[in-house]
Amino acid sequence: MAKIGVFICHCGENIAAKVDCTKLAAAMGEHPGVAVSVEYKYFCSDPGQESVKKAIRENNLSGIVIAACSPRMHEATFRKACAEAGLNPYLCEIANIREQCSWVHTDKDMATEKAADIVRSMVEKVKRNNKLQPIEVPVTRRALVIGGGIAGLQAALDIANAGQEVVLVEREPSLGGHMAQLSETFPTLDCSQCIMTPRMVETAQHPKIRLLTYAEIESVDGYIGNFKVRVRMKSRYVDMKKCTGCGDCITKCPVKKISSEFDCGLGKRTAIYTPFAQSVPNMPVIDKASCIYFKNGKCKTCQKSCELNAIDFEMQDEFIDLEIGAIVVATGFQVQNTALYGEYGYGKFPDVITGLQFERLASASGPTAGKILRPSDGKEPENVVFIQCAGSRDPSKGVRYCSKICCMYTAKHAMLYAHKVHDGKTHIFYMDIRAAGKGYDEFTRRAIEEDEASYVRGRVSKLWQENGKLMVRGVDTLLGKPVTVVADMVVLATAMVPQPNAKEFAKTIGIAYDEYGFYNEAHLKLRPVESSTAGVFLAGACQSPKDIPDSVAQASASASKVLALFSKEKLEREPVIAVNNEATCAGCWGCVLACPYNAIEKKDIRDRSGKLVKQVAYVNPGLCQGCGTCVTFCRSNSLDLAGFTEKQIFAEVMGL
Amino acid sequence: MITQEKYRTTVKELLANGTIKMAIGYRPGSTPDRRRPLFIRTSEEADQLVLDSTCITNLSGYLVTEGLLSDEKQVGIFLRPEGIRSINILAAEYQLNVDQIVIFGFDSTGREVRPLQGRNAGDFSALLTEIKENPPLTSKEPLLERVEKMNAKERFDFWQEEFSRCIKCYACRQACPMCYCRRCIVDSNQPQWINTSSHTLGNFEWNVVRAFHLSGRCVQCGNCDRACPVNIPLRLINQRMAKEVVDGFDHFAGLSPTQEPVLASFKKDDTETFIL
Repeated sequence: MAKIGVFICHCGENIAAKVDCTKLAAAMGEHPGVAVSVEYKYFCSDPGQESVKKAIRENNLSGIVIAACSPRMHEATFRKACAEAGLNPYLCEIANIREQCSWVHTDKDMATEKAADIVRSMVEKVKRNNKLQPIEVPVTRRALVIGGGIAGLQAALDIANAGQEVVLVEREPSLGGHMAQLSETFPTLDCSQCIMTPRMVETAQHPKIRLLTYAEIESVDGYIGNFKVRVRMKSRYVDMKKCTGCGDCITKCPVKKISSEFDCGLGKRTAIYTPFAQSVPNMPVIDKASCIYFKNGKCKTCQKSCELNAIDFEMQDEFIDLEIGAIVVATGFQVQNTALYGEYGYGKFPDVITGLQFERLASASGPTAGKILRPSDGKEPENVVFIQCAGSRDPSKGVRYCSKICCMYTAKHAMLYAHKVHDGKTHIFYMDIRAAGKGYDEFTRRAIEEDEASYVRGRVSKLWQENGKLMVRGVDTLLGKPVTVVADMVVLATAMVPQPNAKEFAKTIGIAYDEYGFYNEAHLKLRPVESSTAGVFLAGACQSPKDIPDSVAQASASASKVLALFSKEKLEREPVIAVNNEATCAGCWGCVLACPYNAIEKKDIRDRSGKLVKQVAYVNPGLCQGCGTCVTFCRSNSLDLAGFTEKQIFAEVMGL
Repeated sequence: MITQEKYRTTVKELLANGTIKMAIGYRPGSTPDRRRPLFIRTSEEADQLVLDSTCITNLSGYLVTEGLLSDEKQVGIFLRPEGIRSINILAAEYQLNVDQIVIFGFDSTGREVRPLQGRNAGDFSALLTEIKENPPLTSKEPLLERVEKMNAKERFDFWQEEFSRCIKCYACRQACPMCYCRRCIVDSNQPQWINTSSHTLGNFEWNVVRAFHLSGRCVQCGNCDRACPVNIPLRLINQRMAKEVVDGFDHFAGLSPTQEPVLASFKKDDTETFIL
């Protein structure tokens, strides 16, 4: 005989304002099988939970229904309370009378009636609930970090320093990401390379970190604690075991005029190259598209120059299969192509450059060795105009969001320029100055007050060339006047946008993304570093535009989540999984095809003499995610979902 | 008559040399235009074989009789093109192994019966593709056109009227080669999703569930329609569902023994117009 407890929560006024909880409690008390039906202001509070536990013990309840908010909020809370009172946690059901009733209705009588329907249907369900036990799955204590920029390095080092194994996969030939390209970093103006390269070296030398550069993720299967990841090692055509990074091949390579990706097109590189001098690993790769040998079968100059015979033109892509417990995605961002703003003339006028290109000009390791020189004629510019929000906060052409870092780096650029060209003039067109962060506002004030950056509040409408100068026409909204500034160089503060293949990559790992392609966190406020997929965490600008401190902080947060996961030998999983009735299964294998997690296998049923009687479907409890796709497909209803059995659902529907 | 004689000889030969252990065909029924299934194991039984234009029942369902194919010996069967499609679907759903099935294909125009070239399911792929591209004119059903012209209300009333005769005998299920489940959903009473009594709701539930379970699998052999003792035009539902599946997923049921079941498989370019 069922003894069900019904607990109706007021949620302060959230529910009580629209649902007559007293009437509801009385009505539920009359329902067959209900032993207790009570109301309370906040059942999620400590005294509220205590009263639930007390009621379970005193009445020896066989199941409870909490009529309150969405199960997403407090199902875990009340299941825990059940367990503490000695009742199997899966004998607790939540009737959502807040989001699905009080919040969306205005008529109190009708809302009360609907709440009664909702609670009644859950009472009918819980009567048919079974005691379920959590499933234990082993955890592979090895983390995969995807992306070798500052976020990826930080996450990898934090996990490795805690003693756990890490595999770091980087798509490019070298670690470093965008941070390695920067000159000096705000708000302290320390040299990016000086703080970055030691980290890169530390990562490469760490005994717990396996570094896979020039590699891409091919596929990700499995689930939290037990991912199976296949990595494609792109052929470098250089044997990393033999190469010492002497650089002879690079000096001899006859193809020298390839636009350097690392220098944002401002410098040149050879066909066999390392992205930059401080590359880690410091071993070159051959750019197949530019190499003469791959084009017409002749040359091999690099091979001849290599004393160690490390160059192998026959090298093929290789695949590495990894067993992984947790994944940190730190795939970063790209700079939006500002050519979409025809009025700014990017791509048309050589002296209109992006912020990242300016970083390369200002960098001591850059193509001009740190001298600010204009790309067109190599002269030092006397007037530089910076245009902020060149792409960000522009719903019509660019992106709607704020790229967050541009206000700060533009102020930094103005400063660096003032430090290098003492009588240079800077004008900065801006919409707002967003300098929230430790030491950030002080930094922008310093640019204005000490380094005499002239901020003009307004947008630029047109940019053209006249007598070798760039004419920048904009508006000064504080003066209410149009202004024209004559400039030698214009720097666009371009938007940070997701990597070009961000959406496809999200599908490969199975995580959610937003309309732009930034990866979605599980909860914006409370779970900001977890993705929507268990065991996959986010770090850095792949989630949203971020500066270095934020990226590092998020990377460390992700690392702590990974370490928390690795702190246990086994992982408990919800026992909500599909179960097959082997007696009625017809073995049509529709479920095998339909299962998105490859969780269904074929199982042989044999008689005593070992003769095969038939084959039936078997659901692997470790792999099943409880989505129910197979259940809906099965024509004979042989498959059923624990916790949401056909019986329960039927009772729930009939209870309405 | 020539076709019938030729096939009698072939069956006898194949039985004699042990290629097949049995052949499933037709023999005379209780009235001149009715045929019964014939299970030929001996040369004498082969003499009873009849093959004419009235042999319309799709016999493929007999192949999934429990234990028939478990000895891995071959069985011969007389099939029209839609029967061959049924074999393909049964193979795609792992209910039989096509290598065990020897097909005696035939088709008819008017009273004329002619044999189809081939013995194995794979031999008929060109023929089936041809049927997919150019469906025979006989498949045009005037009643279906009439029903499709109705508005939702009229159509509901039409089916309510038709289904009101349903007595839940499940003859349609027994006659269908696709209904091979060991336990049908209507036999499951924990919970009783489909009401067993023959009132409007239960009748709709059963017939709609049947239509869904057959969508992408029905070859329109007409077994269910002929089996119905109260003459519900079940073929109309099946034809309509088959059209939906062809239009929506370009899936012509039973084209090959390796065709993936349309409702269990997923392609990245499947249309998702039904998602709001």
